[in-house]
Amino acid sequence: MTRQPTQAEIAAQVDQLQRIAQELYDQSEDFPALNRNLKRILASIHMLRINLEEAD
Amino acid sequence: MNKTIPYWNPHLETLPRERLERLQLRKFRNIVRWAYERSRFHRALYEKAGVEPDEIKTLEQLRLVPKVEKSMLRPIQNKDPFPYGDALCVPLDEVTEFHQTSGTTGQPVYQPDTWQDWEWFSECWATLLWAQGYRPHDRVFLPFGYNVFVAFWTGHYASEKIGCETVPGGVLDTQARILKMQELRATAMMATPTYVLGMADVAQRKLGIDPAKDLFVRRITCAGEPGALIPSTKERMERLWGAKVFDHAGATEIGAWGFECEIQPGGMHVNEAMFLAEVEDPDTGEPITEPNKPGKMVITALDRLAQPCIRFDSKDIVEISPDRCPCGRTYTIFNGGVIGRADDITKVKGVLLAPSAIEDVVRGFPGLSHEYEVVVEKRGDVDHITLKAELAEGSGQDASSITEKLKTELRFKTNLGYEIQIHPYGSLPRYEVKAKRFKDLRKRGDA
Repeated sequence: MTRQPTQAEIAAQVDQLQRIAQELYDQSEDFPALNRNLKRILASIHMLRINLEEAD
Repeated sequence: MNKTIPYWNPHLETLPRERLERLQLRKFRNIVRWAYERSRFHRALYEKAGVEPDEIKTLEQLRLVPKVEKSMLRPIQNKDPFPYGDALCVPLDEVTEFHQTSGTTGQPVYQPDTWQDWEWFSECWATLLWAQGYRPHDRVFLPFGYNVFVAFWTGHYASEKIGCETVPGGVLDTQARILKMQELRATAMMATPTYVLGMADVAQRKLGIDPAKDLFVRRITCAGEPGALIPSTKERMERLWGAKVFDHAGATEIGAWGFECEIQPGGMHVNEAMFLAEVEDPDTGEPITEPNKPGKMVITALDRLAQPCIRFDSKDIVEISPDRCPCGRTYTIFNGGVIGRADDITKVKGVLLAPSAIEDVVRGFPGLSHEYEVVVEKRGDVDHITLKAELAEGSGQDASSITEKLKTELRFKTNLGYEIQIHPYGSLPRYEVKAKRFKDLRKRGDA
């Protein structure tokens, strides 16, 4: 049976997602189709972070 | 995906209280700092009060932060950055959504949202729809006029987010909506209680359709009015539609902050991972932390960024329940949801009167239609209340016997005497969305 990842492991993977999406976003100024979709992806990733937030 | 999980967010919805409150405190400090650094309106407000965001170390200290009323937002709008003015915290280019309040209490307030805010708003709705049993196999019908009012827009996006098939029932009349729901076998819908009852009426009278037998709707989410947690109105809607009816609370400037879960505990959960709701005495402003004592809700949306909602005076009257819900959520429950509005609950002959108490009585009479109207006025120096009710269609009941029973029941429930007028079916005004049934002619503007 596959082990369920811990909350901290999921959060670390979300951080990775954010880094990649942010990098692509920063490089996509001249490519609106990438830029605007990445903007939406970044908003969704931010929602993932809110959903996983901890007290400290 | 496991559809049997009862929570949209198993982590946040079951967070132990102590951790939940620490999370709220951290998010509250962050949103105050965000607004302080970016909004001229908030900075001026906080500087005047001598508050620095980093001073707030405990939940008790959040009361140092000044409250915001809707009336404070109107004069700062219609200015640059146009039209939002001084409370906007993001560059105008970041705003992707425009909505506005209805303006029933004055000039409408404009509400900007970024795409991130919109994700968050629909996430709050997804939390409530999931809690009410919506799942990807549902076909959700929205009989709602899509326009500048936020109403069910975020319900639509949340339904999509959950994975439901989402049917926009916008520019159709009521009969066409009912027929489309029947044709598509819609399993769920969202509407105001007034419209839920009105649709059932139209279905029966004009189309010969019995919603409980001839349609497929098994859950209904209500918003915009308090009816879904008024017992007799809820019972009427559930009986007419053969569906479970759930309440939800939110506002344009706040977000979707409260919801009834599938257990239907007689109240509404506050989504405390996304909102911080305080209850205070409407007269003194002192905090109310003990259960079963009504007070006014002051609320903060903890993650909404474009135009933050921080310690907003909602005017909603709520009451903390001492109980935890068997659903397992650790979120606070408000008994009966929003039990009134600070500006609706009024003194008549020295007695506090909540319009919802009258509705509960009237809708409990099967011989009466869904429509009613209450008029409070001065006759000489004395307050006088008239209740206009309507016989149900085809009701063979005698108006005088209903009048006597209504008088007795109303006196018992509200401690007040009423002049009762029973009208024939179809003679009182009908409302499409929100109803204006309580008219206090003693107040200017209600006449």
